[in-house]
Amino acid sequence: MTAHRLPLRLRALLRQSRLVQLALIGGFWWLGTLVAGWSGLPVPGGVIGMIAVLVLLLAKGIRPGTIRRGADLLLADMLLFFVPAVMGLLDHREFLGPLGLELLGAILLGTLLVMAGTALAVEAVQRLQVRHER
Amino acid sequence: MSAEFALFFWPAATIAAYLACRAAYRRRAAWYLSPLLTAPVLLIALAVGLHASYGDYLAGSHVLMAMVGPLTVAFALPIYDQRAVIRRNWLALSVGVGVGSLIAIGSGYGLARLLDFAPELRQSLLPRSVTMPFAMNVSGHVGGIPELTAVFVMITGIAGAAMGDVLLKLLPLRSAMARGALFGMGAHGAGVAKAREVGAEEGSVAGLVMIMAGLANVALGPLIIHLFA
Repeated sequence: MTAHRLPLRLRALLRQSRLVQLALIGGFWWLGTLVAGWSGLPVPGGVIGMIAVLVLLLAKGIRPGTIRRGADLLLADMLLFFVPAVMGLLDHREFLGPLGLELLGAILLGTLLVMAGTALAVEAVQRLQVRHER
Repeated sequence: MSAEFALFFWPAATIAAYLACRAAYRRRAAWYLSPLLTAPVLLIALAVGLHASYGDYLAGSHVLMAMVGPLTVAFALPIYDQRAVIRRNWLALSVGVGVGSLIAIGSGYGLARLLDFAPELRQSLLPRSVTMPFAMNVSGHVGGIPELTAVFVMITGIAGAAMGDVLLKLLPLRSAMARGALFGMGAHGAGVAKAREVGAEEGSVAGLVMIMAGLANVALGPLIIHLFA
């Protein structure tokens, strides 16, 4: 084995490691929060990091394989990361009564309207476009 | 429980509860077994039993919560994978996000007025259809309470993922685009997870719509304050 092949192999190994990929994704997030802090934009750092990664992917600055394993790890179990915020209910026991039921009703009805409205709007645009193309 | 022990106990308990609930959901994929519902129920029961407050819980568990940031970055990949779909359907996607955001904010405000909720409750209700990090951001800006918004966002996600299944059967939706937009706009993270079960294209469209809706709401934040605060 020649001297310069080992670093190459090491790099390939690192590129395939989920932990290294996770750290890379985390790094983009960290950079995003820094940019958000400096610029004062009311946009979360994660979104700035996501846009940066998307631009790099489109510009072929990074290959999809460089982050795929790490990204899949986060995406597959994303519900886990939402659990802690829900525990905020511990400090709001007042919702375990009539107010909670009213809120639940408002949320259910509102969400139903949002979902039906969005889906029908998208479907309508799609059908119009299909008809237009013919 | 000592403070040092709690620091490790709560994140470990959260992961354990999540894994157990995920296993139950894999055996039977019903809305009431969604890990986002069952895991908090288990953990809240545990916290009430141990007399722990949200602050005690969050001391160690904020690390898990912080993963929402890298998770957002990870969404670049499914969006990149679906770039051809997006290029073909940018108009439908933009209309969906616009209509969905207007209905979300309008219905939130209207229903809160109808039921006579306190102003800070009303403001907390406005960004509930947006994914967690965006929603908490917008909530703070329009005078809501970010923790309350987080709870509303969660309920919206679970209810949306559950009701979405029913809506799919009722509405005459032929395109994967419309099915994905329904889940991404109505039920954000939980909806995306659900849409990924329906199909790969639905999943990435849902993720895309969720992020577009978040961006639109953050951008419209100042206007929302002006109109509804």
